[in-house]
Amino acid sequence: MPPKTKAKTTAENPIEAKLAETVSTLRQNAEIQFAQELAELAQADQRQRPPNWQLSPWAVATYLLGGKLDNGFEVSPKYIGSRRLMEIAIATLATDRALLLYGVPGTAKSWVSEHLTAAVTGDSTLLIQGTAGTSEEAIRYGWNYALLLSAGPSMAAVVPSPMMNGMNDGKIVRVEELTRIPADVQDTLITVLSEKTLPIPEIGVAVQAQKGFNVIATANNRDKGVNELSSALKRRFNTVILPVPDSADEEVSIVHKRVESMGRALELPIEVPALEEIRRVVTIFRELRAGVTSDGKTKLKSPTGTMSTAEAISVVNSGMALAAHFGDGTLQAVDLAASIQGAVLKDPVQDAVVWKEYLETVVKGREGWQDIYRACRELL
Amino acid sequence: MTATIFGIRHHGPGSARSLRSALKTLQPDIVLIEGPPEANDLIACAESKEMKPPVALLVYDPENLQQAAYYPFAVYSPEWQAIQYALAAKIPVRFIDLPVGMRGELERSNSGADPLDWLSKAAGFGEGERYWEYLVEQRRNSSDLFAAILEAMTALRQELANEHDDNYDLIREAYMRQCLRQAESEGFQKSAVVCGAWHSPALVQPWPTPQDDAGKLKSLTKTKIQATWVPWTYGRLSTASGYGAGVESPGWYHHLWTHQTNVVIRWLTNVARLLRQEDIDASSASVIEAVRLAEALSAMRESPLPGLAELNEAVQTVLCFGDTAPMQLIHQRLIINDRLGQVPSDTPQVPLQQDLEKLIKKLRLKQEPIAKALELDLRNANDLDRSKLLHRLELLGIPWGTIQRTSSKGTFKEGWSICWQPEFAVKLIEAGVWGNSIEAAATAFAQQTALDAQDLPSLTGLLDRVLLASLGEAIPLLMLQLQAIAAITSDTLHFMNALPALANILRYGDVRQTDTSSVAIVVDGLITRLCIGLPHSCQSLDDDAAAEIFEAIQQTNGTIKLLQNPDQIDNWRQVLLQIANQSSIHGLVQGRCCRLLFDDGSLDTEATSKRLSLALSIGTEPTAGAAWAEGFLRGSGLLLLHSDGIWQVLDAWVAGLSQDSFVAVLPLLRRTFATFSSPERQQMGDKVARVPATIQYVTADTPNFNADQAHQALPIIAQLLGLTS
Repeated sequence: MPPKTKAKTTAENPIEAKLAETVSTLRQNAEIQFAQELAELAQADQRQRPPNWQLSPWAVATYLLGGKLDNGFEVSPKYIGSRRLMEIAIATLATDRALLLYGVPGTAKSWVSEHLTAAVTGDSTLLIQGTAGTSEEAIRYGWNYALLLSAGPSMAAVVPSPMMNGMNDGKIVRVEELTRIPADVQDTLITVLSEKTLPIPEIGVAVQAQKGFNVIATANNRDKGVNELSSALKRRFNTVILPVPDSADEEVSIVHKRVESMGRALELPIEVPALEEIRRVVTIFRELRAGVTSDGKTKLKSPTGTMSTAEAISVVNSGMALAAHFGDGTLQAVDLAASIQGAVLKDPVQDAVVWKEYLETVVKGREGWQDIYRACRELL
Repeated sequence: MTATIFGIRHHGPGSARSLRSALKTLQPDIVLIEGPPEANDLIACAESKEMKPPVALLVYDPENLQQAAYYPFAVYSPEWQAIQYALAAKIPVRFIDLPVGMRGELERSNSGADPLDWLSKAAGFGEGERYWEYLVEQRRNSSDLFAAILEAMTALRQELANEHDDNYDLIREAYMRQCLRQAESEGFQKSAVVCGAWHSPALVQPWPTPQDDAGKLKSLTKTKIQATWVPWTYGRLSTASGYGAGVESPGWYHHLWTHQTNVVIRWLTNVARLLRQEDIDASSASVIEAVRLAEALSAMRESPLPGLAELNEAVQTVLCFGDTAPMQLIHQRLIINDRLGQVPSDTPQVPLQQDLEKLIKKLRLKQEPIAKALELDLRNANDLDRSKLLHRLELLGIPWGTIQRTSSKGTFKEGWSICWQPEFAVKLIEAGVWGNSIEAAATAFAQQTALDAQDLPSLTGLLDRVLLASLGEAIPLLMLQLQAIAAITSDTLHFMNALPALANILRYGDVRQTDTSSVAIVVDGLITRLCIGLPHSCQSLDDDAAAEIFEAIQQTNGTIKLLQNPDQIDNWRQVLLQIANQSSIHGLVQGRCCRLLFDDGSLDTEATSKRLSLALSIGTEPTAGAAWAEGFLRGSGLLLLHSDGIWQVLDAWVAGLSQDSFVAVLPLLRRTFATFSSPERQQMGDKVARVPATIQYVTADTPNFNADQAHQALPIIAQLLGLTS
C-alpha cells in the first residue's frame, strides 16, 4: 500500500488529480484502478444511500460481486465466493457496526476490506497497519512536539491519525491485522467504536465522528493466541469469517493462475505443470484441511497447520524450482513430496501421526497415486 | 352444495393461520381434509386434552406391518387446525384422500421436481420453500390468499399439464371428487375442502362426470387397513429425516405459529438464552445488534421481514463471532427443536405393541409385574429367540429383563430376571416411531444411536448390544460409523478395545447376514491406525496407564493372531519391536512386548536374554527393571514350568550373572516371583534342582582335574546332602 501522497494539486477532482499523479505506481488504490466502474455504478444507482455513502448497499454488493448494469455496463467481480457473506458485510457497515473480517491467511480479507472501503467512501487510504509495534498514537493522535513545546497543547499541535481523519470526514478506516496489535493498544478502539468519539484530554475537547464513519478490521484466525481480542472489543465488531475456496475446481484454477504468474516472475525454466498435478496437490490440501476425503466417504484427522491455498501455491512453486534446477525439468512426485511434507508437518509429533495415517489409509490405495505415496514414504 | 377449496402447504404456519380465519368467516357445515379415510374414526381423539402435537396418524396393514404410512401433524399444520376447528364447532370432519388400502399396486409419482419450484423460479427465487415462505408463511394478513393460490396453481397445472400429471395423482383426485359428491348427496350445504395446493384446481367445479371418476377407481382392490395415533417428534418432521413432505425448520415454524408479534426479537432472545445455557456469552446488547443486522439484511434483500436465513446470518455474525459451531447447536435445539408429542392413553394399539404380543405368545412368556427368574439355554431355539427379544427390548429402552449371573459355566446359559412394569407400555408407544416390529424398531434405533455416537467406546458398547440382540441389519451402518469415528479418534486404547468384538465377527461370523467385507475394512483400518499410534501413546505412562496398555497389548496381540492376516501380523511385530527398542517407555509395556516377540519367534533365546540383562542391569532404575521383569513374566508361572524356551532364557541370564550383580537384582526378581502362587514357586524350585541340562559335569578324566582340591570339598558336600550324621 503506497503512503498517501500529500502533494498539493490544483485539479478540481481529486481522483483525476491522483490518476494523473500515479500513472507509474506499481499498484494503484482500488478507487483509482476501478474509477470507471465506480462512476458507472454511481450513475445507475437509484436506491437509497446511507448518510455519507457514495453508493447504495445494493450497488456496493454489485461492485464487489460483479454484474451487468441496466445500461449494459459490465462490472467485474472483485470477490469470487459467497454472495451472502458480502451482503452480511455490507449490511453490517450500513448499521454502523464495525466489521471484523476473520479468516486463515490468503482468503482475501485485506482485498475485500480495501474494495468495500473504496466502494462505500471512495477512499481506501485511511489505513492503520497493525504490528506488534503499533502504538496508541497510530490509532488516536500524536503531537507536533515543536509546536507543543512552543505554544502548549492546542488543536494545531495535534497530529491526527487515520482514525481521527476518518471520524472527522465520516469515512471508513481500515485496521489491518488487528490481532497483532498489543492488547492494551487494541482497547483504545473500544471508546471509538462504542461512543464514536475520540477525546483529547490534554486540550479538553473530543472529536465527534461524522455520519458514515466506520471501521473495518482484518484478523488472522490462526493468530488467535497472539493478542486475542478482549471480549469487550470483540463484542463491538460483527464478525464475518471468510472461508477457503468452496469447490476444488475453483481452488485448482486459483492455484494454477498464481503459479503461472509467479513462475513467470521468477523466470523458472520450466513449463507450468499440468492441471492434473496441481489437482493432486490441491486435493491433498483440501482433504487434510477439511478432515474428510474428497468423495466424502472417509474421515481424516487434520494437521495443526492451516493448509491454506497460499501454501498449496508455494508447494507447487517450490516443486517447480526443484524440478527446474535439480530434476529433469518436469514436475515429478518426488519434487512435490518434500514441500508437501513441509507444509503438513508443522508439529513434528502430532502432525506426523496425521500425515502417516493419511498416507496409509488414503494415498496408498488411490489409483494413480503410487508415485506420490512412494515419494512421501521415502522421506518419512 | 358449494365447496370452498383451500389449497395449503402441509405444515405451513402461515397457511394454517390463514385457514383458521378463513374457516371462521366461511362457517362451513362440513370439513373435508386430504387424509386417509381409514382414520376417520380416530379424528375425534384429536380433541382429547392428552393429545399434544406433533403426532402422526399411523395407517398400516395388520397382515404386513412393514406396509405402513405415517401422516404427521404439527400444531401449525393446516389440517390439524381444520380438525380442531371442526371439532370445536361440532360439525362433521372427514378424510377424503384415496384410502391407503386401495393404493397397493399404484405407481407413485416420481417426477422429483416440486411444482412449487417452477413458480419460485418464475418469481426469481432460488428454491421453492423460500418463495412460499416469503409469499405465504410470513404473511400476516390473509384476505384472498386461497383464491390467489388456486389461481396460481390452475395456471401452473395448465402449463405443466403434460409433464406433471401422473396417473397416481389423477386417481387420488378422482377419489376426492367422489367424496365431495357423497357429502353433497348427504345434504351438506357449505363444505370446506382442505388439500395440498397442487390438488386444489382438480377439486373446483366443473368436475368430470361421476362415471369418469368411478371408471378411474374401478380397477382398485381394497385391503383391510388399521390406523392409530402415535407420538411424533419435530426431528422426524424435518426434511433431514427423509420425510418427503417435511419442512426444513419445524422449530422455526412453531415459533412463527406461537408468536404473532415481535417474531424477530423473540427468536433472537431465545437464541441468546440458549447460548447462555451453554455458557456462551450473549448479552442483550448483542441481541439488539443482531436484530438490527437482520433487519438491515432483509431490507437489502428487499423482503418485508427477516426470514430464518437473515436471522441465522445475524446470529452467526454478531452472537457467535462468525463461528459455525454454535450454529449447529441452534439448529438442533431451536430450528429443528426436540419437541416430542403425546397421544391419549386410550388410543388403539400401535403395531409395535401387537408385534410384541404376538412374540410373547409365540415364545410363551408372561407379562407379570413381579420379578421372576428365567434361565435360558441358548442352544434351544425358543430360548434363543427369548434372549434376542429381551435384548432388543432393552436396546429400545424397555428393560423388561435384566441379566443375572448364572452359576453354570459355559456361554450357552443366560440368566434373566424379568419384571414387566406398566410404564413400559408408554415406552413401547414411544418406540413406535422407530418401526412396526420389535426387530425393525430396534434396528432403526440402533442405527440412530450409532449416528449420534461421539466416541469409539460408546459405539463398541452399542455393537456388543446389537450383536446380542442379533440385529444383523444394523451392522453395516455401525461399521461405517465406526470407520468415521475411528478416523478422528486419537486415543489408541479406544482402537484396541474396539478390536476384539469386530475381530470375532470377522473370524467366526457369528451374526447372521453380516457383511463381513465391511467389517474387514474397518478392522484393517483400526489395525493400521493403532499400529501407527501405539508407539506414541506408549510414551510417558504412569503405572496405572501402563497397566491398561499392558492389557490392551496383550488382548490386541491375541486378536491379531486370531485374524491370521500375514500383513497385519508383520505390521504388528514391527510395532512391538519398535516399542521394545525405544527408550523411555514404561518397563511393564516394554517387557511384555519383548515377551510377545519371543513367544512369536521373532527374538531368539540369546537376543531375549540379552534384553533381559540389559533391562535388569545396574544402569537401570531398580523400579523400572522390576517393572520390566514383571511385564516379561506376569501371569506366566505355569508357562515357566512347562515351556523350556522361556525357562532357558531366564536360566541363561541368571547363570550369566556374577555373584554381586545377582545379589543386586535379586530383590527385583523377587517382586515378580512373589506374584506366582506358592505351589508354582515350589515346583520351580524343584525344577531348578532337577534340571541338570545346563550343569557342566566334571569327571576325573577332565584335564586339569585337581583331585586334592576335590577331596577337600567332599566333607562339606556330604554334609549338605545329609550323608553324614
